[in-house]
Amino acid sequence: MNIESKLGLDVFKIDEEPHIIINQEICRSCEEKFCLYVCPGKLYSINRETGDMDVECSGCLECGTCRIACVHGALDWNYARGGFGVQFRFG
Amino acid sequence: MEEEKVEVVIVGAGLAGLSAAYVLAQEGVDTVVVERGDYPGAKNVTGGRIYMYPVARYFPELWEDAPLERHVTRETLTMMAENCSTSITLDSDRFREEPYHSYTILRSKFDRWFGDKVMEAGAFVLPKSRADDVIMEDGRVAGIRMGDEDEIPADVVIAADGVLSLMAEKAGLRQAQQPKHFAVSVKEVIELPSKTIEDRFSLGPNEGTAQLFFGDLTKGMMGGGFLYTNINSISLGLVVGIESLMERDPKIEVHELIEDFKARPEIRNLIAGGEIVEYSAHVIPEGGVNAMPRLYSDGILVVGEAAGFGLNMLLTVRGMEFAVGSGVMAAETIMKARESKDYSAASLSYYEELVKESFIFKDLHSFRNVLSMLENPRLFNFYPQAVCDIFEKLMWIDENPKAKISSTVIREGISKFLNWSTIRDVAGMLRI
Amino acid sequence: MDIVVCMKQMPDLQQIRIKDRKPILENVPLVWGDLDKNAIEEAALIKEKVGEAKITVVAKGSDKLQQGILEPLAMGADEAVLLTDPAFEGSDSMGTAKVLAKAIEKIGAYDLVILGEGSTDNYSGLVGSALAELLNLPEITYVRELNVENGKVTAVRNMEESFEVVEANLPVVITVAQEINEPRLPKFMAIRKAGAKPRHEWGPADIGLSADEVGENAASVDMLSNLAPEQDRKNIILEGDLDEKIDALVDALIKEGVLGR
Repeated sequence: MNIESKLGLDVFKIDEEPHIIINQEICRSCEEKFCLYVCPGKLYSINRETGDMDVECSGCLECGTCRIACVHGALDWNYARGGFGVQFRFG
Repeated sequence: MEEEKVEVVIVGAGLAGLSAAYVLAQEGVDTVVVERGDYPGAKNVTGGRIYMYPVARYFPELWEDAPLERHVTRETLTMMAENCSTSITLDSDRFREEPYHSYTILRSKFDRWFGDKVMEAGAFVLPKSRADDVIMEDGRVAGIRMGDEDEIPADVVIAADGVLSLMAEKAGLRQAQQPKHFAVSVKEVIELPSKTIEDRFSLGPNEGTAQLFFGDLTKGMMGGGFLYTNINSISLGLVVGIESLMERDPKIEVHELIEDFKARPEIRNLIAGGEIVEYSAHVIPEGGVNAMPRLYSDGILVVGEAAGFGLNMLLTVRGMEFAVGSGVMAAETIMKARESKDYSAASLSYYEELVKESFIFKDLHSFRNVLSMLENPRLFNFYPQAVCDIFEKLMWIDENPKAKISSTVIREGISKFLNWSTIRDVAGMLRI
Repeated sequence: MDIVVCMKQMPDLQQIRIKDRKPILENVPLVWGDLDKNAIEEAALIKEKVGEAKITVVAKGSDKLQQGILEPLAMGADEAVLLTDPAFEGSDSMGTAKVLAKAIEKIGAYDLVILGEGSTDNYSGLVGSALAELLNLPEITYVRELNVENGKVTAVRNMEESFEVVEANLPVVITVAQEINEPRLPKFMAIRKAGAKPRHEWGPADIGLSADEVGENAASVDMLSNLAPEQDRKNIILEGDLDEKIDALVDALIKEGVLGR
């Protein structure tokens, strides 16, 4: 099963407001871009048109791996707002 | 005008926060638990098993009808090489005697129930509410803020907000987290009928199994896998050190590891026909005593994973017992501080004393060197392969005459294990 | 002015899993319908505007209502009537309207009765009209704008293609549409204080009904099945080069009645 379908099994209350904001300037200066493969939801991707780093907050599992792995500090990271984001049924 | 303030505000309805709230509420302390999920447990993930002996002494009445899954009667450790694996299984009658040693657990189910119990005890659980900051007043923590418009002033705050603990960070109790002190875990819950689970794993009714794996499944990276049987599902997942994931070359995406793990014959047949019902991820503290934040300050205490209370000893993975224990100790500290209405750092330092005298700190301290042992890549590639090779030689029958068992073991053992790196590794393990 | 708001607790639809085409409702968290929140919000706004008003919420649901009711109470309701008796379970729209009518009659004073235009789970949209009939009151449905002045209401109704402005004398039943307002998020202290507001639990006897006059026993509509649509994939793989594949795809879609109707 691919990762998109797997995320589709979870309950997400979707907020229009993103809870992770990327500082593109810092991000561009980062060579490793750890976020691209440490995220268990594979939510980070480089936008083909703009070259910016995108993050798909609506499928975020709120684990915080990217926050820890982004050692350059490009992420303004928060949990989803109260009542939003992933809602585990099993945990 | 009456001051609008509560006595204790707890951030996070996990095991640590709810345990603290349960004790405080029973003592009649005005307590509020703030939870960002739709219900307690909505954001909480565990691999899957809680050890009962360390926690049963706290609120024994509560555990009696707790919605736990299966009591574990069989423990298996599997070393996985690339194309083979060796397992050691412990099945003991002691595991079948009450009180049971450990239970598998699904946290969304358990914590939601625990939240209701906490409410019944008289604390208030406020769901769908994210704490964003601490209120600082004259250099002390005086409550929490939620968004721009709402706040809860309080005598004392308990930061039970999990491994990242933004609250401890905002209160200045901890620095930015370092990748080497944390691991990421991904997990699938796979539904199967209860009967199928019991047949497949050879379990009696309500009996469960816990299996840990290390070796090739993490592709040389620090970490391991786990499998726990719940009532009618299997929790299957793996853990990998964030730093080893970042340093690995060639790169590997963490979500792919679990797919490869599931495709292994050892796992594939156990989960065949099951339906994946949830995919989750969680960061685990592995820094032990070396990565602990300050546990208290004026008007604030830090408990559970927020305080870095987690321990991966390869054979056993622990965190929930520490969460319950530290939550109760925080509550006891507050009860004592409440007598003199003194919530200063000096008064709350009693919490650290309690933690240091308890199993939490003792275990974290005793096993402080495990992490450096786990950082040894030979543990994940060389040893699983070497052990498998020896066993395979012993088991393999073909047209050639078979060598004596003793000579196979001795010859292979010497050639594989009698060298400086292995001696160094053993010496390292003996320090644990 | 006396305002009664009717609300229903329902399963959080996003949390429902489907297994063998049937919804699994066991342990699904309960929430208020979105439109129910619009209804209580509108009552709170009216109260803020007219000053003197009392808002009573009549809520139907499980024993979890004692907790859930704090939200509308914190949003501005003054008092709550909880219909949590298991006897009320399984009622159809008409049965719900009957119970609400009896409860509202017992409350006695009502100038405005506000409901959502439908519940997010069943969406029959019948309860408001049936309730108006039973209370012998005029009803204005699909209200997107509401103004109360001098014993009268002026309402803008959403007719999808047009807006209709109507006027009625109080008392009146109003069903609101989602665009009427943005429900407020109550603050913590309001929720905390809500716990002290009066709450009454009424069973069938309290509103002059016997247990077999309510709930499943009295329902005139039986639900025979509740199944998710079948989503069998046809698994047709088209062969050939791109042009051939496109032709085959168009043919297949026409055959399925998707194209060229």
